[in-house]
Amino acid sequence: MSYCVNCGVELEASLRECPLCHTPVVNPKEAGKTVPPSPYPTDRGQVEEVKRKDLGILLSVVLSATAVTCLLLNLLVFNRSLWSLLVIGICICLFVFTFPMVYYRKMPPSLSLLADGAAVAVYLYMIAYLTPSTAWFWQLGLPIVLLVILNTEIFTFLARLVPFSLLSGALCLFIEIPLFCAALEVMIRRMLSAPIRLTWSAVVLTVCVIIDVALITILVKKRLRNEVRRRLHF
Amino acid sequence: MSNNRPQKQLKKPVIKSKKDVWYKLDLSATVYPTLQRRDFSSVYRLSVKLKDNVDPALLQQALDLTLPRFPTYKVAIRKGLFWRYLEPNSRPGPFVQEDIKNPCMPMHFKSNNRYLIRVYYYGSRISLEAHHCLGDGTGGMCLLQTLTSVYLGLLGHKITPSGFVLKLDEDPDPGELEDAYMRYATAKVKPPRPSEKTYRIRGTKEPFYTLNIVDGVMSVSEVMKTARQYGATITEYLNAVLLYALLQKQTAEFHLKYKPVRIAMPVNLRRFFPSKTLRNFITMVYPSIDPRLGEYSFEEIVTQVHNFMRYYINEKFLCGDITTNAATKHNFLIRIVPLFLKDLVVRTFYTRVQDKNSSAGLTNMGALKVPEDMKPYIERFDIYMGQPFSSRTNCAIISFEDILTVNFASSIVESDVERYFFRKLVQDGIHVKIESNRSNQL
Repeated sequence: MSYCVNCGVELEASLRECPLCHTPVVNPKEAGKTVPPSPYPTDRGQVEEVKRKDLGILLSVVLSATAVTCLLLNLLVFNRSLWSLLVIGICICLFVFTFPMVYYRKMPPSLSLLADGAAVAVYLYMIAYLTPSTAWFWQLGLPIVLLVILNTEIFTFLARLVPFSLLSGALCLFIEIPLFCAALEVMIRRMLSAPIRLTWSAVVLTVCVIIDVALITILVKKRLRNEVRRRLHF
Repeated sequence: MSNNRPQKQLKKPVIKSKKDVWYKLDLSATVYPTLQRRDFSSVYRLSVKLKDNVDPALLQQALDLTLPRFPTYKVAIRKGLFWRYLEPNSRPGPFVQEDIKNPCMPMHFKSNNRYLIRVYYYGSRISLEAHHCLGDGTGGMCLLQTLTSVYLGLLGHKITPSGFVLKLDEDPDPGELEDAYMRYATAKVKPPRPSEKTYRIRGTKEPFYTLNIVDGVMSVSEVMKTARQYGATITEYLNAVLLYALLQKQTAEFHLKYKPVRIAMPVNLRRFFPSKTLRNFITMVYPSIDPRLGEYSFEEIVTQVHNFMRYYINEKFLCGDITTNAATKHNFLIRIVPLFLKDLVVRTFYTRVQDKNSSAGLTNMGALKVPEDMKPYIERFDIYMGQPFSSRTNCAIISFEDILTVNFASSIVESDVERYFFRKLVQDGIHVKIESNRSNQL
């Protein structure tokens, strides 16, 4: 029988230190004696993962059936154009979008975003394949998809890296929006073979810079930050 | 148990045919599933320590025999358009399993064959974990004691059902399945809920679903003697000790200004409003001390708690409290709001207001009664309030014969509140034996 010299409580025989103040148990009379087992188990339990197998099966069957039947209908009945590519592309996109929610929940968000981007790019290419020219895809479609994915990846990376708040999130968003708009305008002008310069995106850029300056001031000044949080709390 | 209030007629559960049984969630139970997170479920644990080691095969047999007698525990939870509901679960299980180091793990509604209870064994201990949406500690204790009596019966001991032990051959009484809140929510006014921000324990969060346990085992007669010296009951005295511990913790930390220290304490409403229900029938009271008013001595804290309990814990005040809570379920506009919107509002309200309303939780199940012929086989009972919603500590008290157990459960590394609490008991001359799963962490 040992007592904690700090707390004065009797300690259960298997305890090697006081759980209240972490003072080690030193009892010369019990030196060499075997420590009895703890009254608590030592194995940790694991939360059972919720199986979404049924939903996964249902979703896969419905999407594949839609894709295959549309392909057959396209090949055997309405075979003037390859319209089934549009439906098949939608099915592929839905499968990729729902993959991290239904099939593999441990998928990292950055990887899932990349996969989503790839699926959208493939779908756009399918649409481009059905149109007379694929130039719009290479000059506008694909770069926009890449730009959106890059922006979202940066946003999620920052959200995970730094303590995220409504204000810092807004700041991040208002930095990304003008950059995206500027890049978009450059791409459009390049495609139209117009001189490369900023017009409408410059307006967005100006407005966003003003908002960014205001947000940075609020974030830096603690008093102001608290005032804003108090007034805008919900 | 005087109750002169007009009571509503006891409603039978919604039963159309044997195959078409379902149960509405009771008033308290509507909140618990809303708070469900990946790393949090409102799960509590009740344990009974027997004198001999438990035979898992017999325990499983006992569970299979017992559970059909408790139809509101053999259920799965489902989502409707406006509310969640319980429906009978005929899937295999629940299966008894060897106990684990981290009790009260999150309970996902679709796992464990959709059962919302778990039964564990470890050495001579049987533990029942139940989601709070099924029922409160009293309901859970009925299930645990009946399960234990059936288990002892299978071992060849004769146990006469009484008190918490129900007869297996009887059909469930409609009163056991009722939502008793609605029957007694009859006050003409709706007193407002307290909503002042209170002191929050600062602590380092433990990794995902770690539950630190510190149990203090002491003698009921010793605690009662000390409580009487202060002119209080055991509950009042232990409440005062916890408030004292929280005040000490707040003083030891750096604070520009102090906040009130408040305890959330569930009150068993069956003491005031006769009901056989095995579902939730509790309400919260909040004894508190405001250090901004001045420095309180321990004697003053005991007096404050004593007077608070005398003033608030009575049939009239509790009825008002139930009526306030029931108002949300009576309101037509609230009822027709879709479930996902209700979830959003309730979760936001709980996180921003209700959770900040108290510094710690304390529940006292009181002196447990078991049938006379069951007593020789039982050593003690334990109760754990489960994982706290935010970083704080929960304290649960239960006594059986002369053993009183104070069980602390928290998800933070620091054990300051527990230390201040037990040191105060030792200072008051109470012999405390400490058991914990903290020191044998890997």
